[in-house]
Amino acid sequence: MTIKRIADSGLMIMVIYILIFAMYGAVQPSALSAYSIQGLFNNSLPLMLAAAGATFVILQGGFDLSVAGTISLVNAIVAVLQFDGALGAIGMLAIALTVGILVGAINGFVVAYLKVQAIAATLATMIICQGVALLILRAPGGYVSDFMTYELTGSMSGIPVAIIIATLVALLWFVFRRTNAGRNLLAVGQDAKAAELSGINVARTQFFSFIWAGALYALAAYFLAALTSTGSPSAGEPFLLLTFAAVALGGTAFGGGRGSVTASLLGAATLVLMQKLLFSVGVSSFYTGMIQGMIMVLAVLFSGAVQFVVDRRNII
Amino acid sequence: MNQSYSTADKQDTRQAQRFSSTSIAVLTIYSLVVLMIFGSRLVSPSLGGLSQLMTVLYLSSFLVICAFGQGLVIMVRGLDLSVASMITLGGVLSTTFMQGTNEGLYFIIPGILLISALVGGISGFGITRLSIPPFIMTMAMGLIVYSVCLGFTEGTPRGFPAPILNAFMQSKVFGVALPILLMLILIVIFTTLQSYSAFGRKLNAVGNNPDAANIAGITVKRMTISAYAISAACSALAGVLLAAYANGATLRMGDDYLLPSIAAVVVGGSSILGGRGNFLGTVGGALLLTTLSSMLSALGVGQGWKTVLEGVVILVALLMLREQVFASLQSMFKRSS
Repeated sequence: MTIKRIADSGLMIMVIYILIFAMYGAVQPSALSAYSIQGLFNNSLPLMLAAAGATFVILQGGFDLSVAGTISLVNAIVAVLQFDGALGAIGMLAIALTVGILVGAINGFVVAYLKVQAIAATLATMIICQGVALLILRAPGGYVSDFMTYELTGSMSGIPVAIIIATLVALLWFVFRRTNAGRNLLAVGQDAKAAELSGINVARTQFFSFIWAGALYALAAYFLAALTSTGSPSAGEPFLLLTFAAVALGGTAFGGGRGSVTASLLGAATLVLMQKLLFSVGVSSFYTGMIQGMIMVLAVLFSGAVQFVVDRRNII
Repeated sequence: MNQSYSTADKQDTRQAQRFSSTSIAVLTIYSLVVLMIFGSRLVSPSLGGLSQLMTVLYLSSFLVICAFGQGLVIMVRGLDLSVASMITLGGVLSTTFMQGTNEGLYFIIPGILLISALVGGISGFGITRLSIPPFIMTMAMGLIVYSVCLGFTEGTPRGFPAPILNAFMQSKVFGVALPILLMLILIVIFTTLQSYSAFGRKLNAVGNNPDAANIAGITVKRMTISAYAISAACSALAGVLLAAYANGATLRMGDDYLLPSIAAVVVGGSSILGGRGNFLGTVGGALLLTTLSSMLSALGVGQGWKTVLEGVVILVALLMLREQVFASLQSMFKRSS
């Protein structure tokens, strides 16, 4: 049982993260300064949020390709609107979240209630979102307020804002997992038929998993705009594959039922950190993709091996 | 005895229903393609002619080839996300090996197909033997292949395809471009392979129910691995042809084919959950997507609206092709007849 708890808690990926961070610090001591750590977390945050969102859908056994489109769309909207100051940033956040939730609701409705296969439906919504992003913002550029650029990537009484946001998402998951909705999410992922028979509203659970995902993608796009202080109609494209890589690295099972949002957050952070480490060690950027691919496969194999041990123990 | 006969009978009608539902789907898609091509004449008189039809067929030949492989993989409940990288691999290998001469073409092309099939086979191995999710395995393989291409070419692929391949892409017989003829031949071969051969039927059985297929004595893992190997070889072939068409390879040449290859398969009426595949539908899906995109480009529609419309068409096709819609259509037909 303890191994299972370790596997589900994301402790393993945390250990991996700390190990890589130690290596990174050893190779490049300047990376340990407060400023560098703040920069590292700022760079990691968008992918972390996107991976957290995708996890909600994957946990119920679905799939969401719309991550790339939603991030592009929200990023473009944030870059086009010109709101200044703290109030402007809050207003922008509200608009971003509304758009993200709207896209999530469309996904959820089409998948959960119209019963279209998740991969196919979210492929279509992803393409539509990318198109709308292009309509809103023709070319990379746009305007991001100074408040967003400086305050959201800065620190709040010594703690980087990025860490605060990531912690809040982890806390949200900590609470959500213990609510009925959270338990239903995992139950549907484990066995949708059994969940339906035991009185869980499967369609509603699936629908809301897409809403959570859309909201978190929007948050990712919002912070991406703050980080790059510009917008791009194709901002989300690199996220498509990296998001799923991060979820896999966090040990969440594709097919649903097992995993955690917190582990995905850490998986995404590990992925970004790994890129930094490879770069600072001097691995040619040509081969970074190769090493990332291999690590992804190894991570899944590792998580599978742990599951195998857990299953055997449970049988005995 | 009597009872077993009746269940067999039931299964037969079910299969017949499924057959008719897929043929309705295929017919719908092809009539949409025809409608779109001839309907575009209303918008602009330069469109809607035979020459536009030829252009669409020519451009869709690349997509049709990769979509066949993608369709096989989807039929065995997988997904191939390495399509883009395998196209790049095919293109890069062909220009590097050929170096602009015709020498050794007869073993270079089979060699490229073999290498890529091997890469696809490795993905299949990881998926079946090590139970890595197809999504992750093919994505990781795509990343690895892409960075090998990047490192191997140092960022800029050099070399040129064989002149004979260039000539092949440009020649016409009786006014029909040779690549179109090649596509037609491949469609016949692929349809036979997928729907009328023992191999195709076994793949279908694996997709429908792997456990049952296993009990029936089908080597499920080997069949699955071969689906991934074929998919990789198909993408590499598309890459070779694309490199000959564009007279050179680029590292990003495959990017425009990954999502359309999936879209063509699902629009074509195959279930992404496996077990229901139909190559003629996939061809229709590829034609539909290519027609739409070339028509919108010809009309001067901006990239944004073009992308939105493409997405909407995929979504509408998906909604129309749902099982329930067929069921209600069939009951409607029955009532009226």
